[in-house]
Amino acid sequence: MGPGGADETVASRDHFSDACNRDRVVTARPSSGQSFSARGTPTPVDAESRVWVEQLRAGHPRHHQAVARLHDVLRRVALFELSRRRHQLRFVTGPEFEDLAQQAADDALVKVLDRLDDFRGLSRFTTWAYKFAMFEVSAKVARHAWRRQPPEVEEIAWDRLPNPVALRPEDRLEQRAQLDALRQAIGELTDRQREVFVAVALNDVPIDVVALKLGSNRNAVYKNLFDARRCLRARMAAAEQPVSNGNGRETGAKTDARPGSSGAAWLR
Amino acid sequence: MIDLRKLDEILRATDGDAGCVAGAEILEAYVELELTGEDPARVYPGTAIHLGSCPGCRAEHDGLLEAARRFADLRPE
Repeated sequence: MGPGGADETVASRDHFSDACNRDRVVTARPSSGQSFSARGTPTPVDAESRVWVEQLRAGHPRHHQAVARLHDVLRRVALFELSRRRHQLRFVTGPEFEDLAQQAADDALVKVLDRLDDFRGLSRFTTWAYKFAMFEVSAKVARHAWRRQPPEVEEIAWDRLPNPVALRPEDRLEQRAQLDALRQAIGELTDRQREVFVAVALNDVPIDVVALKLGSNRNAVYKNLFDARRCLRARMAAAEQPVSNGNGRETGAKTDARPGSSGAAWLR
Repeated sequence: MIDLRKLDEILRATDGDAGCVAGAEILEAYVELELTGEDPARVYPGTAIHLGSCPGCRAEHDGLLEAARRFADLRPE
């Protein structure tokens, strides 16, 4: 990890030309563990963060008080995040909501205490600690949503795509051609790519819920999604229905299918 | 016709995407830069790209940014 764009961890060297036809296995590369700031210079830990780390270590005279204070704020952070994600927890009642927050805070606290030596001072200690509460809430919300309402991911929500203001006959013809090209391209994805793309990109199923359904993890599912998107762009372009990117630049097979150029930094 | 902006978003797969694992490792640093008014995309361009494409990581980023603002006053005793 270093400045200037090397913030990647996942390594795989499959060529993009293969990505349309098979699903890749993702392996994580261990982090270097070096303590550098966002600018690549050694990071002095700020005074408050240093006190937090010292007090949270077992044997410190204020250990129990520091743990209790941190747990309390982690519970409030978890509760806040659960509230933000309430739309994913439609069937959760008040006491269960509080219980989820408590569990997330408990598990986040264990991780923070286990990983005190990993704190590198890239942020305030509290921001680092809150990150674990976020991760715990994410995981618990996904598990809860999966148990209560397993996703139906096979059906495509085509109505998300057409622009309702396009009413002119010539526009309808163009829309039909684009949808046909997209349908055909989706049909040519691998089973895994199609399932992930339809669920996450078209049907708004949370990516962590899809990962649970597939017995996978978010990173691997995201790679399936990334490859699916690449393939669909390439095939739309090949069918003379290219999709512009956010900068107005068309993307497709001509640039993406270059041997050895997968596009994603994590693939190199 | 298809809303091309929406389709572009649905099919977004940008060169340089750092992936979920790399983003998770430095998420607190990314958020801290935002809190201090700096542009984290200059330091972590791969993660900036990733957050534009991965709904799961984006949700965690948004939550952490908001939590770090809201619970910023916690000091050690």
